[in-house]
Amino acid sequence: MTLTEFVIATVVKILVVLGLFSALAGFGTYLERKVLAFMQRRLGPMHVGPYGVLQVLADGIKLFTKEDIVPQNSVKPIFMIAPVIGAATAFIALAAVPLFPEFEIFGITVHPIISDVNVGVLFVLGVMASGLYAPLLAGMASANKWGLLGAARTVIQLLSYEVVTGLSIMAPLMMVGSLSLIDINNYQSGGFGDWIVWAQPVAFVLFLIAGFAETNRTPFDLLEHEAEIISGYATEYSGMRWGMFFIGEYANMITIAFLASLIFLGGFNDWGFIPGGLAIILKVSFLFFFFLWTRAAWPHIRPDQLMWLCWKILLPLAVINIVITGLVLMI
Amino acid sequence: MSLEQFKDRNVSQNYRFIPVDKPPTAPMDKFKQVLKRTFKGELFVGLWVVFREMVKFNIHTVQYPKEKLPISPRYRAVHKLYRLLESGYERCIGCGLCEKICIANCIRMDTRYDENQRKEVTEYTINLGRCIFCGYCAEVCPELAIVHGGRYENASEQRAHFVLKEDMLTPLDFLKEGKQEEFPGFGAVSPNADERIKKTPLAY
Amino acid sequence: MFEAIAFYTFSAITIVMFTITVMSKNALYSMSALAAGMIIISGFFFLLDADFLGVVQIIVYTGAVMALYAFGMMFFDTTREVKESIRAPKLVFLLSGMSALLLVIALVAPIVSDHIEPLYPVVEGVENPQAVGIVLFTKYLVPFEVAAVMLLVAMISGIILAGKKMDKSLTLKTDGEDEFQNGGSK
Repeated sequence: MTLTEFVIATVVKILVVLGLFSALAGFGTYLERKVLAFMQRRLGPMHVGPYGVLQVLADGIKLFTKEDIVPQNSVKPIFMIAPVIGAATAFIALAAVPLFPEFEIFGITVHPIISDVNVGVLFVLGVMASGLYAPLLAGMASANKWGLLGAARTVIQLLSYEVVTGLSIMAPLMMVGSLSLIDINNYQSGGFGDWIVWAQPVAFVLFLIAGFAETNRTPFDLLEHEAEIISGYATEYSGMRWGMFFIGEYANMITIAFLASLIFLGGFNDWGFIPGGLAIILKVSFLFFFFLWTRAAWPHIRPDQLMWLCWKILLPLAVINIVITGLVLMI
Repeated sequence: MSLEQFKDRNVSQNYRFIPVDKPPTAPMDKFKQVLKRTFKGELFVGLWVVFREMVKFNIHTVQYPKEKLPISPRYRAVHKLYRLLESGYERCIGCGLCEKICIANCIRMDTRYDENQRKEVTEYTINLGRCIFCGYCAEVCPELAIVHGGRYENASEQRAHFVLKEDMLTPLDFLKEGKQEEFPGFGAVSPNADERIKKTPLAY
Repeated sequence: MFEAIAFYTFSAITIVMFTITVMSKNALYSMSALAAGMIIISGFFFLLDADFLGVVQIIVYTGAVMALYAFGMMFFDTTREVKESIRAPKLVFLLSGMSALLLVIALVAPIVSDHIEPLYPVVEGVENPQAVGIVLFTKYLVPFEVAAVMLLVAMISGIILAGKKMDKSLTLKTDGEDEFQNGGSK
């Protein structure tokens, strides 16, 4: 592949991923509202388009045309940059995720990964972690006490779950012996029985819990819990800047779903008669649905409970898991 | 729930205390509690309940502008002025009782004698900004001329809408089509009113 | 060519960011610029094919600067400028400038005399994490373990220092046993 081809292919991939995942993130809000509504015996959005499908479009128009308010006492440049960080990091993290198996289109073999960093897992997790700077900066810059509380909770959350995420995927990485997501995927190519989740159930549960914390989904929905801190870091935001936080959050959810299915659930290998591309879509959809499902079912916890859970329960569990995995690998 | 239970104002007798254990203090007990809660599967019960509701698809939403819940005949929304069913004359005889009894002081009416020396209402307005929808006007009206209607959607371009005489009065063509239904609600005569009438004793 | 463009872009951004960190009077600007600079530095590692170190740079400094933010949040009103009182600005400027210059000379001298070469060049076929691991667990095993023990000591002492009165709740205290507030108000 020459340099020009490489540049063109990369640019096309970036555009496709950006467009596709912005649309998916928008559609995710529709799905979330529908699923939550059905679980609470409601109908959800019904009026815009058939069954409210075009609600996303209406919301988008609303967000784009709304006035962009910057509060007088805020630190303006940082206030304005913060949502961009949120959306950008979510998409940058997607750059190192192999989305589908290789396929051929118009006679060209396409690797559906923008940049095959050979430490893919760490890259994705690191970039996603730095995505938490968005709520932090937003809360601290908006000169609002609710915002400041949201920012403080962001710090708590990052310092709590970050360690658990790293340690929980350590054990599967030890089994595979590589940090590349493609290698991890290929390790599980033997079919249903080869999925790492069967060998590492504890790590899977820990990773999911940490993933919930990483994407601020409901059991750990501390940063912007309406009942406690109005809207947390997003209190002063309006219009598209607020929308960017949301796109970032949903893109992060999809990324975590991709990561969990790649590392633990067999990735994009063929699953019985189901081809690999469809299999990973099914897995990611289920995990995404699981995110919404827990939001309907579970209450959220206090910040001190999150710290207690992460440092006193999950961290020791993860360490024990690593030690046992190491012992088993040695023998 | 029986009527007696319902009427019981002294509710404290029926309170039932849910036994709540004191939170454990010893580290071992705390650990045991965590273990119990972790493996009891309460979280999965929650997941199952919402999933069951989703699959059952028993939706309770009323899609309001498209479908409306039936409202009670005694519902007290914006007022209506009725006409006599046969002749089409206005029922209002201009007695002014409603104006007098209105506790919010929001009804204003203007009357005069028409060519038949019959009292006729020329102006009749209700200030809906002051009206508290108590229903006294409908109750006191001897002719059942002013009643409360069921129209609770009060969005309009002018705040004076709904409250002028021509807005409240049943239109004539509407009456001719027989669409003015007798008011069954607050202040109306009961359905068995005829049976309950006692004849005036003529002894004195 | 791409490397050169990327290198100069990253260098410019890094220098600007760290200048803001030092010069700004607003704590929020300083900390954000510091975080941005630290993350941009990882770009240099990526340029040098040291993916692992680059990612570690991102992960470590995300958490580290986040803790700095927590301190900033507790000590300052981060949306206002910090009032500084420097008695002899010229002296401070001179001394800090001199020391910075000395540092630069000390670091650049070997490059100028062209005696710099990588101790552990990237070997084809050995991945980054493996290379780092091999070096860490053979040649630098003792410093690595010493660092680990020091961190452990720091952690335990931190827990002991912070955990002295952890079993007493600050919020559930009644007025009678309120020694902190009484002491503070006197």
